[in-house]
Amino acid sequence: MEILLGSLTSGLLIGTIFALVALGLTIIFGMMDIVNFAHGEFLMLGMYTTLFASGAFKIDPLLTLPLSAGVGMILGIVCYKGFVRFLLRGPMVAQLLGTFGLMLLLRNIALFAFGSEDRTISSGVLVDRVLDFGMGMVFPATKLAAGIFSILAFSAVWLLMNRTRTGKAMLATALNPQGARYMGIPTERMNMLAWAIGGATATVAGSLLVNFWSVTPFVGLLFVMIAFATVALGGFGSVPGALVAGILIGMITEVPGLWDFFSSLTGSRWMAGVSMTPFKYTLVYLAYFIIMLVRPRGLFGWKR
Amino acid sequence: MNRCSVIAAILLIPLVTLCGAAGIHAAETVKIGVIYPLTGGAAAEGRELRAGAEMAVEIANNVMPVAMDMAKRGGITSLKGAKIELIFKDHEGNPSLGADLAKKLIMDDKVVGILGCYNSAVTKTVSAVCEQYGIPMINDSSTSPALTQRDFKWFWRTTPHDVTFTRDLFELLKGLTEGKVKGVAAVPKAQITKLASACEKTEFGSQVSETIDMFANQYGFEVSKSILYAPKSADLSSEVRSLQAAKPDVMLFASYTSDAILMVKTLKSQKVRARIIWGQDAGFEAPEFRSSLGDDVVGILTRTVFAPKIAEVKQVAGQVNSLYKQRFGHELSGASARAFTGVQTWAEVLQKAGSTKPEDIQKAANSINIPGEQLVVPWKGIKFATSGPDLGQNELGSGVIGQFQKDKSGEIALEIVYPFDLATANMIYPLKGF
Repeated sequence: MEILLGSLTSGLLIGTIFALVALGLTIIFGMMDIVNFAHGEFLMLGMYTTLFASGAFKIDPLLTLPLSAGVGMILGIVCYKGFVRFLLRGPMVAQLLGTFGLMLLLRNIALFAFGSEDRTISSGVLVDRVLDFGMGMVFPATKLAAGIFSILAFSAVWLLMNRTRTGKAMLATALNPQGARYMGIPTERMNMLAWAIGGATATVAGSLLVNFWSVTPFVGLLFVMIAFATVALGGFGSVPGALVAGILIGMITEVPGLWDFFSSLTGSRWMAGVSMTPFKYTLVYLAYFIIMLVRPRGLFGWKR
Repeated sequence: MNRCSVIAAILLIPLVTLCGAAGIHAAETVKIGVIYPLTGGAAAEGRELRAGAEMAVEIANNVMPVAMDMAKRGGITSLKGAKIELIFKDHEGNPSLGADLAKKLIMDDKVVGILGCYNSAVTKTVSAVCEQYGIPMINDSSTSPALTQRDFKWFWRTTPHDVTFTRDLFELLKGLTEGKVKGVAAVPKAQITKLASACEKTEFGSQVSETIDMFANQYGFEVSKSILYAPKSADLSSEVRSLQAAKPDVMLFASYTSDAILMVKTLKSQKVRARIIWGQDAGFEAPEFRSSLGDDVVGILTRTVFAPKIAEVKQVAGQVNSLYKQRFGHELSGASARAFTGVQTWAEVLQKAGSTKPEDIQKAANSINIPGEQLVVPWKGIKFATSGPDLGQNELGSGVIGQFQKDKSGEIALEIVYPFDLATANMIYPLKGF
């Protein structure tokens, strides 16, 4: 029973974290049909921002969140204004490969500036704190904070998109940029806003993650691959879709735990003998593959 | 200046450069291609390896105050005092890139031999290229046993491999039950009989996992869970939970740095209890592992080939270690000590061969015998197997098992607990838990 509860709660938790990482990706895609390959690098820069800021100012990593959000916004805006805006004029291939180049650029700048070694934060309110609810439900405080923040961020973005004039304007831009422009909506600014929000959610996610994970210039890849699967699974451009898909993927990564639970429940020898752990990401991408075959626009996708 | 003289000047430039190149050539250098993971997942280890190799080549090319033959010659005397030149290449942990680099080194740089490559998977492809071209390769730091089981004629390995290392672990466990471990009274076997392992699903990890199963069987231990996990994971909590469910007494790991850090953090957050935690070198020995986890590493065992504590009991190791510390600011590690030994072996092989012809080098390597007192690592020496199933393997190597302990000043150091006769401290048993 402990294994079951432990697996479910941990799947939920890591799922909300995956969703948080995917949030910015889906916003940007929803707005402008651009897949931001550099998303993981934004995350990585968020991690470094917190690492260095908390070290330099001797403050708790949590207090660096506003700074990190600011860095993400500026990064998003600079990337949009200085780079992506020009890509939009180019052919589809340029849009596709442009952010890929941005990814390589940011990663290598980080490699040059910070070096390749693993770094971690070793002090802070969240670091090494664990909440134990018994029955195998153990929550590392970092992951819990990231999970809670993830839900908050999703709610905020959902409210912004559905309850405000700006959100409506963003939606209009996403649906028909030219039409929106004719209606007097500053589409350029809306795009920029999407990049600012996308960048900020990524760096903030990074800031929360660095309390638990070690950071290297390559860390983005680990999370962004899963984020891509999340966004595709939930539907490109769908905000609630990203949350549901994130949690779904979190659960899928816990399949090995569930497998163990059922093997001990049924007492079947062959189940105990087969280890599912090496296949945990295989299962994630398998789910992605099946969705692509059956429902290419994703679970909640509204763009065709 | 008229047009003619400009053209003449342009034509002269390559000529001058050619002369320059020839001038360097006249000083007689022997080029060795060194392929390491200088960027990518194992970059931290790669940097250590490179530093170790650079230290060794400095000692080989100059007369230095170190009690080893290589330090007294100031070059390869049998090759008219030729200096060794290392050409470093970065394989990024990518086996196919490694093979390409090896081809380039052999064809373009005309290297005499190859040293490398740390990641066993890369060593596998690089050594296949060397075998194809008939260029000697010395492997200093890859520990997959399969590498020397291919009957390659141009491949020699100085480091002991994972079978030896894993046997050391079981010898330690056996020693624990027999009361041979310094500072620990004999432990009833029932206390440490249940093992669980989590190894990364790569050439390195899979081999370790298999070897653990094999020796557990042989030594009468029970492996209640063995996991292979996807390397460079974003999350390891399901793996840890799976280990925990098996309620093991002893936990065994084979991971590189980022996974090793994440693994221990996850173990801690899940409040895992085990009497012994052991890591198969790699990530568990990396300086970042220690610096990121701080006090949480205390009590964790790692096999290694070198601990700075060896410098206290071995004269050469102490001398090289202090030179190394002067130059690079930190102490020798398992990676740098083995890279050092790899370059040293190259120097001795070239010295013995007295030629840069592959055939002569092959002959020299097959008959070399470097005594243990020449080495920084605690081996009995270097002598390669010339027959049998482990062809090209150094027969005189052995491992060390260290335990992270805090000394009186609060510094964390790797104390030696195995071999028993080299032990530098009392072993902490059982592990206090996080």
